[in-house]
Amino acid sequence: MRAENYQAVTHPESHEFELNFGPNHPGIEGNYALKVRVNGDKIVAAKADGGYLHRGFEKLMEGRLWIQNIALVPRICVPDPVPMEMCYALGVEDLCQFEVPERANWLRVLQLELSRIAAHLFTFGGHAATVGMYSNMFWGIADRDLILDMFEQMTGGRVYHMYTIPGGVRRDVGVEQLDKISDLLDYLEKRLSDYDNLFFNNKIFIQRARDTGILTPKQALSWGVTGPNLRACGLAFDVRRDDAYLCYDQIDFDIATETAGDALARNLVRRKELAQSIYIVRQVIDYLKKDKSTHIRCQIPNPLAWKVPAGETYTRVESSKGELSFYIVSNGGEKPYRVHVRGPSSMHAVQVLEKLVTGGRLEDVAQIMFSLDACPPEVDR
Amino acid sequence: MVWDQDKEATKDNYASQTIVLDQILHELDTLNIEQKNNQRFRVDVSAEALPALLSLLKGRAGYTQLSAISCVDWEDEFELVYHLWSYETKVLVSAHIRIQYTPAVYVSVYDIYTPAGFFERDIYEMYGVYFEGSPMMEKFILTEWHGPAPMLKSFDTLKYVNDMFNWQEYQPDWLKEIQAKGGKVVS
Repeated sequence: MRAENYQAVTHPESHEFELNFGPNHPGIEGNYALKVRVNGDKIVAAKADGGYLHRGFEKLMEGRLWIQNIALVPRICVPDPVPMEMCYALGVEDLCQFEVPERANWLRVLQLELSRIAAHLFTFGGHAATVGMYSNMFWGIADRDLILDMFEQMTGGRVYHMYTIPGGVRRDVGVEQLDKISDLLDYLEKRLSDYDNLFFNNKIFIQRARDTGILTPKQALSWGVTGPNLRACGLAFDVRRDDAYLCYDQIDFDIATETAGDALARNLVRRKELAQSIYIVRQVIDYLKKDKSTHIRCQIPNPLAWKVPAGETYTRVESSKGELSFYIVSNGGEKPYRVHVRGPSSMHAVQVLEKLVTGGRLEDVAQIMFSLDACPPEVDR
Repeated sequence: MVWDQDKEATKDNYASQTIVLDQILHELDTLNIEQKNNQRFRVDVSAEALPALLSLLKGRAGYTQLSAISCVDWEDEFELVYHLWSYETKVLVSAHIRIQYTPAVYVSVYDIYTPAGFFERDIYEMYGVYFEGSPMMEKFILTEWHGPAPMLKSFDTLKYVNDMFNWQEYQPDWLKEIQAKGGKVVS
């Protein structure tokens, strides 16, 4: 080097740098960013940066007829859209005082639990990819696709089904279709041991996920954590049992829990829940096969001139990510006056995520994000 | 700590819940309580008394979870609804308050419930209601939006689009080719 070209390197007083983690990165199911401040590979501070998937659902719903919103709500959360339809339908039914036929409720549980299995497969796969295990991701996506095939056959839609409507469901499911679902459950049950061998018992995954992103029960309660993330701290709360809706009070299932509260525990809870959902779907299939009723929805008014009685309601369901709630207000008109969507990810992807990654290592950011199973479109709405 | 219970215990909880809420009702004279069903209570309270009510519900009645804060624009005033859940008694209480339209200011309850930070920030961004004492009164979703609070009833999205943008015919080359062959867009 010629002497005149030499420039002394100056080091900043602080060795901290800001890194834009996202909005496109392997740590999350959608576009979502995290601005992290790093010192070496240690996270000193983190700030969530959302809004990339804001589509104004709440405002749009105020401008559409009650029936039109059925096509809108599932789009709020792509990986697990069925609980969105369900929560909206429960709210409208509460305001209208609809008596939903029993068979419709069982058909809804069938959809909800299949959606939960699909969403958990998606999450396993995604989490595995964050620790470099791509085979598991391919398996998860491929097996999820088999469930989407079932949805397509039952509802006509693979991802957005618009199957659950206020008053019941759009169509019945025949015995032949139920047999196909039963065969799929057999296949998925056999696959669980493969997932165990490849992922859940894998030393690399266990070493990476254990003691990473630890949530204590006290923190989880204080920070508004719900769903599998809460149950991974040893707190056995599940809306399906504790604030029961549909026919969950007639169904036998265990609330899956773990106690460690780390990324490993959160995944193990989802692994157990997947097995429980298979168990629930089997009970639903038995019921639907024995049930001879063909009544799948109650009488609803002319959808194009449907005025929902004035009032307000707060409905909750257990989505694969946690507690999903809708606050719906009607002023007696043909459109909702107000719909507030409270997705579980609004807690997990913002305050909880910021706190959990701070103090951790850069290589674990994506893993912690996926272990919380946050869904950005649910935050942005 | 693991919650588990049988149905008999749940019934007892509902009964004790009503007693606790009755006690709180007597302590705060600006309170109106309505039981919707076994697991849903609606409480109407004055804006001044809400922080005290939340402290009592959290401290004495086990309402540890702030499920959500919802805002409703009634065009002459705002309604704020605080949805509180008790993991122990399995009961949801929705506390309703009304605040004035201008200036739209209320106090933060972040010190009582940490999740309030997200909801207050969201309401500030979407409705323009400012929460004094909230640690996060900054934009989160609409960081590049400088117009009025978009969730206000007075904000007409269609009018805004018409005022801001010009309509233009959509005539891409591929469509022109189809039209040249006699095809058309069916609407």
